[in-house]
Amino acid sequence: MSLKWRIAIIFGLIAASFWALFPRTAVERVKRNGEFVYDTVRRVPLKLGLDLQGGMHLALTVDESKGAVPDKEKAIDNALKVVRNRIDEFGVAEPLVQKAGNDRIIVELPGIDDPIRAQDVVQKSAFLEFQITDETQALEKALPRIDAALKDAKVTVATATPAATADTNKAGLQSLFTADTSKKADSTKKDSTAATGTVGGPGAFSKLLQQGQMPGEYYVAQTDVGTVTQYLALPQVAAVLPPGKVVRWSSDTVSLGNRVYRRLYVLDAKPIITGEYLTDAKPNTSPTEGNIVEFTMNNEGARRFRAETGRHVKDFMAIVLDQRVMGQPPVIQNAIGARGQITMGGKDLQAAQDLALVLRAGSLPVPLKVEDLTQIGASLGKDSIHAGITAGIIAVVLVVVIMLGYYRFSGALAVAALALYILYTLAALAGFGAVLTLPGLAGFVLSIGIAVDANVLIFERIREELAHGKTVRTAIDEGFRHAMSAIVDSNVSTALTAAVLYQYGTGPVRGFAVTLLAGIAASMITAIFVVRTFYMIWLNRSREAQTSLSI
Amino acid sequence: MLRILHDTNYDFIRWWKVMAAITVAFILLGLGSLAVKPPNYSIEFTGGTLMQLTFTQPPDVGEIRSALDDAGIHGAEIQQFGTNRDFTVRAQDPKQVAAQASGASNIANVIEGVLKKKFGEDGVKVGRREAVGPRVGQELKRGAIIAILLSFLITLVYLSIRFEWRFAAAAVIATSHDVFTTIAFLKLMHLEISLTVVAGLLTVLGYSLNDTIIIFDRVRENLRKGRKETLYETLNRSINETLPRSVLTHATTFAATLALLLFAGEVIRPFAWVMAFGIVTGTFSSMYVAAPVLLWIERKWPRKTGARQSSSTATPTSRTRRSPATATR
Repeated sequence: MSLKWRIAIIFGLIAASFWALFPRTAVERVKRNGEFVYDTVRRVPLKLGLDLQGGMHLALTVDESKGAVPDKEKAIDNALKVVRNRIDEFGVAEPLVQKAGNDRIIVELPGIDDPIRAQDVVQKSAFLEFQITDETQALEKALPRIDAALKDAKVTVATATPAATADTNKAGLQSLFTADTSKKADSTKKDSTAATGTVGGPGAFSKLLQQGQMPGEYYVAQTDVGTVTQYLALPQVAAVLPPGKVVRWSSDTVSLGNRVYRRLYVLDAKPIITGEYLTDAKPNTSPTEGNIVEFTMNNEGARRFRAETGRHVKDFMAIVLDQRVMGQPPVIQNAIGARGQITMGGKDLQAAQDLALVLRAGSLPVPLKVEDLTQIGASLGKDSIHAGITAGIIAVVLVVVIMLGYYRFSGALAVAALALYILYTLAALAGFGAVLTLPGLAGFVLSIGIAVDANVLIFERIREELAHGKTVRTAIDEGFRHAMSAIVDSNVSTALTAAVLYQYGTGPVRGFAVTLLAGIAASMITAIFVVRTFYMIWLNRSREAQTSLSI
Repeated sequence: MLRILHDTNYDFIRWWKVMAAITVAFILLGLGSLAVKPPNYSIEFTGGTLMQLTFTQPPDVGEIRSALDDAGIHGAEIQQFGTNRDFTVRAQDPKQVAAQASGASNIANVIEGVLKKKFGEDGVKVGRREAVGPRVGQELKRGAIIAILLSFLITLVYLSIRFEWRFAAAAVIATSHDVFTTIAFLKLMHLEISLTVVAGLLTVLGYSLNDTIIIFDRVRENLRKGRKETLYETLNRSINETLPRSVLTHATTFAATLALLLFAGEVIRPFAWVMAFGIVTGTFSSMYVAAPVLLWIERKWPRKTGARQSSSTATPTSRTRRSPATATR
């Protein structure tokens, strides 16, 4: 290849690199005064990972703790659409929602500053059901059997353990003695639970329940909620619960006198209608009921709803969201049509907004649980970038000193090549849309040290050839030729390892592998091709230079 | 011309027994210590919750602990992480992992809540929170092991094609040696095994393999020259000839590693430690594992052509000429 072509290729690569790295305008969703707006921004097109720019990563999977899901893969596919809709409505700049493996959804939300709320929006099943409260006193009839079952099972599970519900899960962590009056502190201790008026007798279970104001409604002291939940979760108890009925907690608590109670409802298991017919949901504030969410159903839903409610006039209808009864079930005065509302029971307007959002975006076909969560603050990400860049600069300086000190003029050529190496690698990362992560940044800094290896191999060869008395031109030719097999073999085997890392790594490690691969390619190009060209230019420029080489 | 270790003629391999004893002792020390106490896996592997916190005032660790204990989070590991205002809290004992399985972020939220209560809403800032379910950890562990084994397999195939199976086997055995020494190093340094450290380990393997390949490349070339010398001598000669390159490359790599170790921050430091050790073990294994193993393989399974000569490679008495063809097959 002629020298002209070589120079042209090098400059072509430089131009391409600058083009790849040149700040460009892009339309992005950016947050301004707390609101997401579309805006054109100008920035270097190098994508930063969540660990560098801050944000949140979630891995969601099907929650089978409340019953097995038959076709998980299909369920995940459907859930994926719902999650994507919700994230789009939630408003995040450049979110990522994708399926990983067969049964997992990965959600990445850059720049999120309220992780708890974001997680809520993603995870809430928003499964809306309308169920009629039990009129047959089925639970009361079953109470003796439940008590007997508990007695048989010799239940000693009085202390709270992380049970089925999220609230008791928190309670399980709460120390028993520091339980404060806040709602989440529903920790339990059997010794302290005095019977507060019984429903069906002195049994372990029945003594914790009090008859409510409507059929199928019971009051349970807040301190006993954990215990009751636990009892209900026991397989022996589940076996004797009335068939065709389900037991659900209310979403909020009520105060009677100086005691706090949570309501327990026994409902017909088959819902009269579910939220799948919902077309719209809007938050609102009603003077009498506080924050509410108003919803509208489509024609088919409205028809069914009218028919079903017509059949159940004078019955009580529980609005059940994610297995929690919202508010107190209203009595059905007459058939209801397309519109309805959900009372939020003292929660703030944001909660109503979020509920409306998830209802609009559709309910999750299966409950999801967060299997894996990473959230990194934006300032921590910035610190990491600063530290990484500092380390990079120091590494470059040290490597330059070593190369110049040892190889002098040839070392200078290697340093020039190193500058191109850094440019090419960054450009390759930007060009392929790779994501730069913190381990990737570390890998890049490390590669600065390793990248000169090819140069070192070549220079040592040239020295050997010169020592054998070869002319400068021949020594350079021979040096490159002999070093080639070592360079190729060592780089290819490293590249293969990097490919394996890419295939089996996740997140940050994958970013590391990409950086490694880009670095290997760039270092081979610069060490073999670019430095060779530099030598050729130097040999062409001056005749007398050929008699000695500073190396 | 500045020259380091030029035209040396050290008999490196002579010391392989001593070196083998040293490295076996080191590995046994590490593995023995592993048997006594399992390694520190990061929450990525065990599952659990990690919070990185920045306080406005240097807090008292005892206070953090008592706040956590009050919330029922016992046995959490609280560690200073950088300055005296930065701390990490790790809740990763199996009980908490199981509790978390039903909703991974709950514990993180509880921790944030109690600490904000104790140190004030602005007194503590959460820089990073990670919550990992137990299953993810299992998969990562399997993924890491598959990645290492697969990279060995691919290396074996590639080197068998480019060199021959004896070289490939020796290189892979030398690299496996590095896996063990690095694990021993991690254990003895009390470094936590995280994903980043695994990436570091794989980088070390790649680096060590590079080093071995550079020497073997020289061996391949010297064998082709058909000098009248034994493989033992050829190996020694090749190590000596590549010595200046080794010194230079290790120097520049170490310079970059040092920069990472000192300036890249706490998250990267374990990775940098692994790499720093990797430079040592990689160099060591190329000379004292790869070379002796190659000699051993050569004696045990001599090359077909010229088998008689090769069988005596380890004894310097027989000086036989090796044809170039045998070396490249």
